Amino acid sequence: MTRWIQQVGWRHLVGVLVLAFAMVPIVFVFSAALNPLGTLSSSELVPTGASLANFTNLFGNTAFGRWFLNSVVIASVSSIASVFISALAAYAFSRRRFRGRRVGLLSVLLIQMFPQFLAIVAIFLIFSTVTDLWPAIGFNTSWGLILLYLGGALGVNTWLMKGFFDTLPRELDESATVDGASHAQVFFRILLPLVAPILAVTALLAFIGTINEFLIANVFLTDAGSKTLPVGLYGLVAGERNANFGMFCAGTLLTAIPTVLVFQLLQRYITDGLTAGAVKG
Amino acid sequence: MTATMLGGPATRQARPAPPEPAKSVVGQVAKALLLGLTIAIAVWAAFPLIENEIWIGLAILVVTTAALLYLYLTPRHVPLKYLAPGTILLILFQVFPVLYTASTAFTNFGDGHRGSKQEAVVAIQTASVTQVPGSQQYALTVATTGDPATGPLVFLVTDPATRQVSAGNADGLKGLPAGEVTVGSTGRITAASGYTILNAGQASRRSAEITALAVPTKGGAIRSSGLSRAYEGKAGRAFDERCDCIRDTTTGQTWTANEKVGAFVAADGDRLAQGWRVSVGLSNFTRVLTDSAIATPFLRTLVWNFAFALASTGGTFVLGLLLAMALHSPRVRGRTAYRVLLVLPYAMPSFAMLLVWRDMFNTDFGLINNLFGSDVDWFGGSASARLAVILVQLWLGYPYMFLVATGALQAIPRELSEASRIDGASAWGGFRRITLPLLMVALTPLLISSFAFNFNNFNAIYLTTEGAPFPADNPANGATDLLITYTYRIAFGGGGAQYGYAAAISIFIFLIVAVVSAISFRRTRHLEEVHA
Amino acid sequence: MNKTAASLAAALTCALALSGCGSSDSPSAGEKAEPKTNGELVIWADDKRSAALKPFADKFGAENGVTVKVQAISKDQQTTFVTASQQGSGPDVMVGAHDWIGNLVQNGAVDPVQLSPDQTNGLNPNALKAVTFNGQTYGVPYAMENLALIRNTDLAPKAPATIEDLITEATKAKTPEKLCLQVGQNGDAYHLYPLYSSAGGYLFGTSANGDYDPKDLGVGKPGSVKAFQKIATLGEKGDKALKRSITPENSIATFTAKKCAFLVSGPWAITDVKKANIKYDISPVPGFAGGQPARPFLGVQTFYVASKGKNKALAQEFVTNYVTTPELAVALYEAEPRPPALTAAFDQVKGKDADLEKFVTAGKDGLPLPAVPEMAAIWDPFGKAEAAIVGGADPVKTITAAGKTISAAIK
Repeated sequence: MTRWIQQVGWRHLVGVLVLAFAMVPIVFVFSAALNPLGTLSSSELVPTGASLANFTNLFGNTAFGRWFLNSVVIASVSSIASVFISALAAYAFSRRRFRGRRVGLLSVLLIQMFPQFLAIVAIFLIFSTVTDLWPAIGFNTSWGLILLYLGGALGVNTWLMKGFFDTLPRELDESATVDGASHAQVFFRILLPLVAPILAVTALLAFIGTINEFLIANVFLTDAGSKTLPVGLYGLVAGERNANFGMFCAGTLLTAIPTVLVFQLLQRYITDGLTAGAVKG
Repeated sequence: MTATMLGGPATRQARPAPPEPAKSVVGQVAKALLLGLTIAIAVWAAFPLIENEIWIGLAILVVTTAALLYLYLTPRHVPLKYLAPGTILLILFQVFPVLYTASTAFTNFGDGHRGSKQEAVVAIQTASVTQVPGSQQYALTVATTGDPATGPLVFLVTDPATRQVSAGNADGLKGLPAGEVTVGSTGRITAASGYTILNAGQASRRSAEITALAVPTKGGAIRSSGLSRAYEGKAGRAFDERCDCIRDTTTGQTWTANEKVGAFVAADGDRLAQGWRVSVGLSNFTRVLTDSAIATPFLRTLVWNFAFALASTGGTFVLGLLLAMALHSPRVRGRTAYRVLLVLPYAMPSFAMLLVWRDMFNTDFGLINNLFGSDVDWFGGSASARLAVILVQLWLGYPYMFLVATGALQAIPRELSEASRIDGASAWGGFRRITLPLLMVALTPLLISSFAFNFNNFNAIYLTTEGAPFPADNPANGATDLLITYTYRIAFGGGGAQYGYAAAISIFIFLIVAVVSAISFRRTRHLEEVHA
Repeated sequence: MNKTAASLAAALTCALALSGCGSSDSPSAGEKAEPKTNGELVIWADDKRSAALKPFADKFGAENGVTVKVQAISKDQQTTFVTASQQGSGPDVMVGAHDWIGNLVQNGAVDPVQLSPDQTNGLNPNALKAVTFNGQTYGVPYAMENLALIRNTDLAPKAPATIEDLITEATKAKTPEKLCLQVGQNGDAYHLYPLYSSAGGYLFGTSANGDYDPKDLGVGKPGSVKAFQKIATLGEKGDKALKRSITPENSIATFTAKKCAFLVSGPWAITDVKKANIKYDISPVPGFAGGQPARPFLGVQTFYVASKGKNKALAQEFVTNYVTTPELAVALYEAEPRPPALTAAFDQVKGKDADLEKFVTAGKDGLPLPAVPEMAAIWDPFGKAEAAIVGGADPVKTITAAGKTISAAIK
């Protein structure tokens, strides 16, 4: 028994404690979503009334379905693309030695540190021209927003992946090269599969980051049909001082669903990585 | 992803033989398709540029496309092949906005000084147009003597008092014989011989011309007010090129252009509100250094800013890593359920959850005081407010570290940790000597970037305490203010948005974070070479 | 090899950077694209109003053979409008509060509108005055709003004449909270203003022609100190009628949960109060006994014609000749019950809705929210001073500091 506590029990203890910390605000949101007079100000954890009115209103009175679809499409496309672009760059930074490599790495990090709220003006500047010339990727289009998000593909995720490429033994690709594999083959066939866990993690992080992004999406998407979940939901509480928090909470909960599904989908890569193979190889 | 995974082991088995030709065909086809797509996109993008005669843009497009084709067709420049896609996007959507923003630090860009001088002059003149006293409003019909899309525009107007109908263009107004026109019940002309009446759709396509058309009259000019009414108006102020000034047409007062401040200023110091953007050199930067509102609380804010960023990063890392370690064992049942639930805080939109947390900290109505039966004025005291915002960050941020640490733990070969156990090392010793150093290889850069993110974590403060509590004698700088929220308040709080000033402060903040990060980065050099 | 790679990268970056700025600075882009925009009118409003506007915008579009797009801007409408306009991607018509005017004018973002005498006569004079700035009319008002005292008649049958009466009544009602007047962690100048003005404070003095004079700042003057000394007696160390824990988010909810008998709020609160089935009545916000009348701010919702819109003629047509029709005003009233600014529309709905008249009565002594750009410098420091004083800080020190901060920002 003490052995069990030492080896497994403490794990459950940590898990349960953090779970309690994690769940309190979520349960609170959940009860507000069920409460027909839902407000964020109530101090009760248990809903005072239970109805699905907030959920039905959300689908009946707003373009929620549309926002949901837009968000999922934008987040999926941009997370997949950004993981790919990031992995390419991470390979170059980790495996290739070229002049300006460290400077490049540092610049990628530093550029992200510039305060973002001032960049809105420049985004208007760029995309006003783009909208005039190429309306298909201008304001109010998913493609334009995806492109804009991909500007950040070479960022923190590149660092994350580069770190993992660094942990893979060099001998792996060197021996493949000796065997006549091209750099593309080394990258696609040998390295990528080995970093699958981290690809999954970055994909998930990128997905979450995109689906919850608000600041840029809010100025970029003004057409009711083009909005994403955070922009649409914010509109529910920003209207006037008598905001409908119940619907907002219901929407917030529903927003978490795609993320949880993606997590489920990627979990097997995250947990059953091909690490054993790395050493055998 | 599944496909590449299956492909991986297959290649490895085939390693002794040279790469199979069948596989590289797939590669070649993919490459050809991608390059073809690049050309197709370039061609598509070229048409609007040609149509609008933007030759510089076109030249850049052609050169870029050619460079890309060269890059991917030549066997040389291997690193660049991998860096090009991300770099192009980075330059367009990150580097350019940052450079643009930084360049505004040298201007007076802000409310009242957003556009060019020309725009300011237009705004002043438009704002000064008033109806000529005692004049009538006319019923208006927009017509043309030629084709509705291109013909010269004519205003057909009906005087409401005399019922006199006239046609006017930039040359002036001339009466129309009553017999040649049909006037509708509202007084608007519905038909006139020799003129084609524009419907609303046609007229709105020529909106700019209609707005610009002024029919000169004795007292001023007839201008349109929408598409169905016109009025006789007179500009009260006009730009005079000779004196480079704005002159009031009735009083004769003048406001002379002052290129230093970007505004029209009268001799008595009176300044017209509509200004323009001018370069102000380094004055925004010197203002940052001399402004007592910034200088006085600067050190205190900076210290707290570092404390906040370190506590947020360190706290989330420790908690995330602890969790990842705890769940990194096949013997823990329900790991999947744990993981899904534990990631939830990260899956909820963060701005929404920040607002929820703010209300949970309410003294009288908040969930936290309610749950613990306490009566703490959370955002009222410096220490409690600081604790509260860090707690919120911990909640929001640990799932990120948890996910990353989980991925990292998976990547560490199990044999390594098992080997250490066989060697007789304790679990903790094994963790410290083998697991942790390997984890740090992958995670140190992330910790640096997480620190940088939290250093400028605007929403964390702005959506919760907004900087509170504020000392009674200084409403400009609160106990939980970060440099970035503080900047925001100074630049946008009073007298409208001052982008130039905000950009200058941002550059200072950027320099601080950049130096700290660059120093930490130098220390990571040895970490890279674990396997080398 | 590395050298070539680096130089190529540099060339590429330069090329792309240039394409970014080069093409956007080229003026020909906008002009040439102009003919392609067919008769299209773009209207920006907040979420609630854009939903109400949609059917009418569609009708206007159908009648005139043009496309009308109503787009909802959820956050920072004013800044987004000014920034987008400046870069040429703004709307043709903007819907917003009248106190934006000063800032919109200094940025050249809106044009004056030319109304006929018939049209101006049809508008509520206070609303018309609110949209008048430097002698020009800068938009067409459609709805007015001001604060009033909403009380739960089960808990407090009688409308209090003074704030002291209110506290006596509230004590008798034995509710957990005495007054639901939102203060929040950082104060709320808009909701405090009736009490502040009743106690003798003011924000800006007025010049001879009745406009606000930014050079005469009332915050930090002896009047404001006295006013805040009175307000402090209502605070957390005094009667506990004003509390920082009452926030914009929970003030209405606390009232509808019957935790307080009195709510200071505007027409927007009524929907929730009705939904909670509370018997209520509306009266003017009471002032201090022996003080000046409590003056709430008057806010006016306005349609603006954007200066840099692509279709200004149609925008003018819509704003001056369509918005001024009662049908639209009534529909907007039905979307959210605020008194219409159009007298004809007001008369049409006041029979159905007794609350409107009461809100107008409550706003009788009201002052239009100052539209001067300098007002932006007031909100934040004033609110924080309020929060500090309500929390028990020394009024003299606090309000003097706030006055200094504001005058430094205005200069």
